[in-house]
Amino acid sequence: MAISKNIYKVLEAIVGPEYISDDPVINESYRSGPGGYENGLGYERVMTTIPGCVILPRTTEEVQKIVKVCYRNEVPYVPYATGFYGPRSHPHVEDALIIDMKRMNDFILDEKHFYVEVGPGMVYSPIQEEAMKHGAYVVIGGGGAQASAIANLLGDGWSPLSHRICLPHRRILGTELVMPDGEIVRMGSLATGDDPFWGEGPGPDLRGLLRGFTGVRGCLGIVTRMAIKTLPFQPERLVPTGISPNTALALPEKRVKWVNFIMPSKKEQVAAMVEIGRAEIAGAVTKVPLFWRAIAKAEDKEHFWELWSKENEQTVANTFIVRVLLIGYTSEEQMEYDEHVLNDIMAELNGKPTRTKPSDESWIKNADSAGMWLMCGGYVSVDYIIETLSQSTEHGPAYADLKKKYTPPLMPDYGDPGWFQSFECGHEGYSEFLIYWDQDDDTNKVDQFYLDTSKMNIKNRFYTSLLGPHQPMYLTGPKYGPNYHLYFLKIKNEFDPKWMSHPPVPLAHDVFVERAPWMHNMKDWESPDDLPK
Amino acid sequence: MNVDIKAALSKVVGAANVSDDPAQLQAYSTDFSYTAMGMPNYVVKPASSEEVSAVVKLCSENSVPVVPCSSKIHFYGATIPKEGGVVLDMSRMDKIFEIDADNRRVRFEAGVTWKKLTEELAKKGFRAIMPLMPPAERSVLTDFMEREEPTNQVYDYGEPLEAMEIVWPTGELFRMGSASVNGYPDSMSKGGNPSGPGLDFYRFFQCAQGTMGVVTWTNLKIESIPKIDKILFAPVDDLNYAIDFLYRIMPRRIGQEVLLLNNVDLAAIIAEDDNDLLRLKETLPPWTLILVISGLLRRPEEKIAYEENFLAQVIRNEFQDLKLGENLPGFPGLRKKLLPMLRSPWPAGKTYWKNRYKGACQSLFFHTRPLLAQQFVDIVGDIAARYSYPICDIGMYIQPIEHNRACRPEFNFFYDPKNENEVEAVRALYNEAASVLLSNGAVFTRPYGDLAPIVYEKAASYAITLKRLKKLFDPNNIMNPGNLCF
Repeated sequence: MAISKNIYKVLEAIVGPEYISDDPVINESYRSGPGGYENGLGYERVMTTIPGCVILPRTTEEVQKIVKVCYRNEVPYVPYATGFYGPRSHPHVEDALIIDMKRMNDFILDEKHFYVEVGPGMVYSPIQEEAMKHGAYVVIGGGGAQASAIANLLGDGWSPLSHRICLPHRRILGTELVMPDGEIVRMGSLATGDDPFWGEGPGPDLRGLLRGFTGVRGCLGIVTRMAIKTLPFQPERLVPTGISPNTALALPEKRVKWVNFIMPSKKEQVAAMVEIGRAEIAGAVTKVPLFWRAIAKAEDKEHFWELWSKENEQTVANTFIVRVLLIGYTSEEQMEYDEHVLNDIMAELNGKPTRTKPSDESWIKNADSAGMWLMCGGYVSVDYIIETLSQSTEHGPAYADLKKKYTPPLMPDYGDPGWFQSFECGHEGYSEFLIYWDQDDDTNKVDQFYLDTSKMNIKNRFYTSLLGPHQPMYLTGPKYGPNYHLYFLKIKNEFDPKWMSHPPVPLAHDVFVERAPWMHNMKDWESPDDLPK
Repeated sequence: MNVDIKAALSKVVGAANVSDDPAQLQAYSTDFSYTAMGMPNYVVKPASSEEVSAVVKLCSENSVPVVPCSSKIHFYGATIPKEGGVVLDMSRMDKIFEIDADNRRVRFEAGVTWKKLTEELAKKGFRAIMPLMPPAERSVLTDFMEREEPTNQVYDYGEPLEAMEIVWPTGELFRMGSASVNGYPDSMSKGGNPSGPGLDFYRFFQCAQGTMGVVTWTNLKIESIPKIDKILFAPVDDLNYAIDFLYRIMPRRIGQEVLLLNNVDLAAIIAEDDNDLLRLKETLPPWTLILVISGLLRRPEEKIAYEENFLAQVIRNEFQDLKLGENLPGFPGLRKKLLPMLRSPWPAGKTYWKNRYKGACQSLFFHTRPLLAQQFVDIVGDIAARYSYPICDIGMYIQPIEHNRACRPEFNFFYDPKNENEVEAVRALYNEAASVLLSNGAVFTRPYGDLAPIVYEKAASYAITLKRLKKLFDPNNIMNPGNLCF
């Protein structure tokens, strides 16, 4: 149903005429892409459309009123923060209302109790800046420092700094959620008061509704307020240097230092991560693919290809770099202790240190998402999963093997097996696999590869981030849990029986497969005839 | 309920593992709390996840309440049947499936006790971080599902639980997090991540008191046993001063176990006998700060040294009045005695420390900001005085959490369980204190018994959402009815 003039006027009365528009020009500005994550793929072409109207609330009460109006009048709506997630953050049905949260950008820092309380419009950049001024830091996820902190925490929220900092779902404290039918639920300490410092309960923890590893893309309501845990850092200032886009943070070397080591083989590379975790040292421990180094060094697309073309299957297969961030959380003396332990480990494993710049270009400052579009223009991560080092170190090669079948149109990368790293001091391991393609090519095979990875993970019994709305739920559902999709859909139907909150998520990828003719020959699983349209 | 249920249960778990003998049922009808007695109709002891699944399915189909019970010792009344039904005694499910040294992970069943787990881990050089002296016979899984706070707060991960298996209230087996992969544990995925699939279902089972289903096994993070430990003490008269010190040192990641105990609680823990307890209660300082620093697997002396140097510098420059040392003045034997106690469960054959003073104890605990702890101590003191409960008899324990960004104060009201007047007085005191503390910002994440209606009245929208959620999975409300808001 299109948004009628009457409904428009009701919505306008909630936020004021300045903060609502159905002007086609404004609506067009909310089109998915170009140049965004997953841009140009079939999912974007088939599943996304421009909104029928855009509204920008300022308060939770306004969000609640908007949602109630939508629900009563059956207007589908999509919560939208900073939109990193590309097509999956955009309307999938005609005449939807985008609820753009960017005006809800309040920000309170409690330095003594290590949290920030933010609205969904607040991005990471000022949070990190203010946190570090007060002896704390946050993880800036792959979405970059320009991403909404809340949106990122709901669907991502990790980086190499996660070697030390706890996982994202554990950094979500008191949270306020406007449910799909407009009811407000406050979680954690907000459930019984107005202090957001604590996250759980009372009793069973409703934070279980918020994510599920990679998020639910707004299909179970809108988070309007969240306290996010920060972690104690070290006290020295990291000084910004350079001119945009080539900026960095100069590191106080006695308190913060990156060190790279060349390892003899993958075996030692993995062993180094295990031992560093077991020794409980360091602030980050990650593999560095050669690919990253080329991205980091390249000034432009041509430069990247010049650098990358010097590599080959042998260099990619035989380069084993471990990058370690040392942080003197306690003191310079603690930093020295960490370095001694690290050197002991590397000496045992024949790791050779290499020259490392005394600066941080990415992970502390901003996360380097922008560089991912450098090579081809199209980019997506087909997995970004936290499990153990046992899984994460074997996951990438399985992807690389499957990828051969789809290259081209995927970018030739000499069989690069992706990236892995230690999380939570080696208790967990992380693997990520990124793919690139030229948007001028026929990308149907990219869509097929994306889905085929799900089958590969099922077959090889890997855990994967691409569950829920990120792959067909009727494909993954029976194989994980089993039948997690049935429990998910029960919850969706209970709290959003009219499916107004970002329809047809969480079944959007199921619908995509139905709608995209080039995907039909991949469908070898059962799904109901009455999938939402 | 009719005899068919018993026959059907026997068919699932074997007749020897089903009982309706009143003498056996009696053991499940009370615990160490003053919660009213409640008899189950049957006790069932499954041996596997599949048996749990079949029992729960049977009960769901027949609307028979199910009360999961993993421990042999309980303090909060949560496992006392409120509406009869089947007690699902998980004690036979006490297997430790694997200790995974590389990923520092152990996977074990719900019936595994602290005694068993700590002993088995120690054989391989590992330990689990643990709450303050949990009873040896208590289920490790239950303590972490109920989010007992560990005394060790140096690890940023906060929650040590990893992927787990549950049985939904309708009987389906379900694996959560990265254990959800087809064929687990014969899989590439090892169960290190509790999150997902699709939603964070595991969250619904935390602090749920068995109302959302049955957890059958879990993965848990484990840590290496340190090479060197030093336990340090400081006598504390001014609680705020000690807490300021913790604000200063804990964000710098100093210490493994860190806690504050008042004289009553510390006496109950370390006393040799009743007379010793009374003597210690009179002679210990009002509060004692306990701080353990440890040297880990590599360069342990060097690690101890940097922590000691940091502490010395902070004390010299900022906290000259804090007398932190390896001995608590006047109690020279404490150093050797307390450290092993902090790393071990409370022995099974010995009266639990909370019950030593008067036979029973009602614990009131919550989360707050550390800077408010003294204010809550004062509030509880005022209310206790009104109920003629001697302030000098209240046990107090403050557990700093997450680098001291929060804390968990616990007030222990000791009483004689055979004295009805004393029981009622403590109950009234507890209820009023809870209400007043709640209105002053105390955060009760685990509302047991009388506390549940007090908390959920204030958290009305949360309670309504919980009820809607619970009904989806437990349409007949069979899982431990009468607890929380269900």
